[in-house]
Amino acid sequence: MIQRLLPFLTLIVLFIALSFASPYFLTYTNLSSVVRQTAVINTMALGMTMIIIAGGIDLSVGAILAFSGLVGTMAMEAGLPIPYGVAVGLVAGLFWGTVNGLLATRLNIAPFIVTLGTLGIVRGITLIISNGLPVHKIPQQFSFLGEGNLLGVPFVLWMLVSCALLTHLILEHTRMGRYAFAIGSNPEAAFYTGIPVAFHTTAVYAYSGLLCGLAGMIEASRLMTGQPTAGQGYELQVIAAVVIGGGSLRGGEGSVIGTLIGAFIMGLLSNGSDLLGISPYLQQAIIGAVIILAVAVDELRKRKLG
Amino acid sequence: MLLQLRAIRKRFGGVAALSDGNLTVAPGEVHLLLGENGAGKSTLVKIVAGMVQRDAGEMLWQGRPARFERPADAAANGIAMVHQESLLAPHLSVAENIFLGREQRLPLGMVNRRRMREQAARLIEEHHFPLQPDWRVERLSPAGKQLVEICRAIQHGSSLLIFDEPTSSLSEAETREVFGIVRRLRQRNMGVIYITHRLEELREVGDRVTILRDGETVYGGPCGELSTDRIIHYMVGREVTAIYKRTPQPPGEELLRVEGLTRKPLVNQISFSLRAGEIVGLAGLVGAGRTELCRTLFGIEPAEAGRVRVGGREVRIRHPRDAVRAGLALIPEDRQRHGLTALLPLTYNLTSANLGAVSRFGVLRAAAERQASADYIGRLRIRAESGRQLAGRLSGGNQQKVVIAKWLFRQARVFLFDEPTRGIDVGAKVEVFELMDELARAGAAILMVSSELLELLQVADRIMVMRQGRLAAELPGGATQEQIMRCAALETESALSEEGN
Repeated sequence: MIQRLLPFLTLIVLFIALSFASPYFLTYTNLSSVVRQTAVINTMALGMTMIIIAGGIDLSVGAILAFSGLVGTMAMEAGLPIPYGVAVGLVAGLFWGTVNGLLATRLNIAPFIVTLGTLGIVRGITLIISNGLPVHKIPQQFSFLGEGNLLGVPFVLWMLVSCALLTHLILEHTRMGRYAFAIGSNPEAAFYTGIPVAFHTTAVYAYSGLLCGLAGMIEASRLMTGQPTAGQGYELQVIAAVVIGGGSLRGGEGSVIGTLIGAFIMGLLSNGSDLLGISPYLQQAIIGAVIILAVAVDELRKRKLG
Repeated sequence: MLLQLRAIRKRFGGVAALSDGNLTVAPGEVHLLLGENGAGKSTLVKIVAGMVQRDAGEMLWQGRPARFERPADAAANGIAMVHQESLLAPHLSVAENIFLGREQRLPLGMVNRRRMREQAARLIEEHHFPLQPDWRVERLSPAGKQLVEICRAIQHGSSLLIFDEPTSSLSEAETREVFGIVRRLRQRNMGVIYITHRLEELREVGDRVTILRDGETVYGGPCGELSTDRIIHYMVGREVTAIYKRTPQPPGEELLRVEGLTRKPLVNQISFSLRAGEIVGLAGLVGAGRTELCRTLFGIEPAEAGRVRVGGREVRIRHPRDAVRAGLALIPEDRQRHGLTALLPLTYNLTSANLGAVSRFGVLRAAAERQASADYIGRLRIRAESGRQLAGRLSGGNQQKVVIAKWLFRQARVFLFDEPTRGIDVGAKVEVFELMDELARAGAAILMVSSELLELLQVADRIMVMRQGRLAAELPGGATQEQIMRCAALETESALSEEGN
């Protein structure tokens, strides 16, 4: 049990240590900026949690984020009201998620390969339709999504908490979530039980795509541009968050709360390094080491049980 | 003495797997190791083979104290093991697997494929195995994989060979072949430790026997002196009748009618019907198409032709989902791979085929699910700490009950049992038979595939025999093992019934 709580304890220890190490850490401005910075990765990581539980992986999340952000802001540039623009971004994400799911299940290709392919395709299309140029003419109020406050709390935190609750509900309390665990733990047994494996796998990818669409709009709102090169390398951070939070790439394991903790550990590490003046080059190495450490500890725990 | 184990103890976490394990094997002796699942047989031989380290006790190998830290140490000392679960490399060929880790080399460290192939072919021929050196192991049946493991162990020239339930997945004919191999090994003055669940095998091959119960050696001595009832008494610690005999009841309405079901090559123009309350056995050699028939019927590899009627209604089965909807249930041969999700709780496994019954608008009702799980744990006497226990932690018999409970909860009416007693112990076997009987009495129709003829004769009302993808014969429940074997193995003189035609 103590080892189960280890990621959570790490987060708390990290939080306390940073409070002592830097006078700027425990300020409203800094903490809300951590929340805003982490929100994008966090939102995507929720979808990735579900995919990884179902035994899959999605390398195209960063590309989907960029595509969604771009077409969403282009819609606003073309004069669509903000809510419609956001909806366009969400639908774009949903679309690419569904494509990933269909390719993986209908063509029976390993998701790693499928999403490696769609990573290239989506990124390419994004650059083509934007001509490589960012979208700037966005209504001013759109910045509320990423930068606004509601009741003194960053609006993105409300969004994140809602998405997390929804994802948790789906995973733990619906048929779709149960099937995700079943498919990820033993796809053959799921098939033999009559579970529509292909449909539910696709649904999981589609849901993740939708969350990537939302993350894309948040990112666009924070930058106030539709950036075709946004989200490069995010897939690795997202996967890292899930894995640090106890998700297993072998499928069948993972949780929303774990993933949130994983994402915040990475957020604090990067924020703390900034505050303490640690070089960003070293930051990358630290985060890499943390990933390996987290998984090593988890494996050790399982071996003790087994 | 070749091997002596004294007072071996081993704990896994809080569980004592062995508290007083004793075993002595002489050269040129076939030593049977008996005991229920969980009695500690596997742990004991794994200690010998260097796969598990003992906590206490003494081991003498060829008279000298020994402790093998790794399987490679044991192998270097001449101990080989044929595993219950296949430890082969699925993407390599039969020959490459036989020589895995001991490849024949050419200069510059290159692998001498031709020589390995030739030696493998000689070995396979010598023992009349139905294998080819070039076949890829992933395409083999469980029985075929077992044979490759045996080849591998023999090839490595060991002085002690451990068989961990070698025949549990083999047909009668293959079992005889394994016995032949064991006898030949004995003649070469090798020691053999042989774990089995099949008591009939005992007198065929065994010289001496060691019986384990709850981690303790309760008997060690010559085979000849022990009656079967005595052995069961030692294994179970209570009186259990080994002979189960079901009293059939008059069958009811026709629940399943199959006409001309075909999926080549192993399911060819199969026609039969099952009635409510009936248990029909399906016999045949390994590779005759029995498992394939079940899989085709259940939509795992959909049929190319043929009609299926369930409860009088014609159904098209192209996916297991269609079969489940029609009221069919498959209890698969490979329970670990296809029947259970070992890493999920018992309850999740139990409700997985019928989540609709415990959910509203796609949202699961936890209370209803817990209730259902508690119900079935009680009804089927599943021995588990709670519904939250991981299915993989249950014993073989209890895992099988969970698979059956899954379909009961789905209210299936036609059950396809594919080797339902494979790898489960004597007490649990009888429980599974009783469960099948209860099911039949409650109006289910049951098709039971088994390679253990005695079992089929005990349980089935009538027995269909498959040979090379076709239904070759149908025999009454009172048939003899010889009759069944004759139909399964020979081309002619089959007692064709109307339905088998």
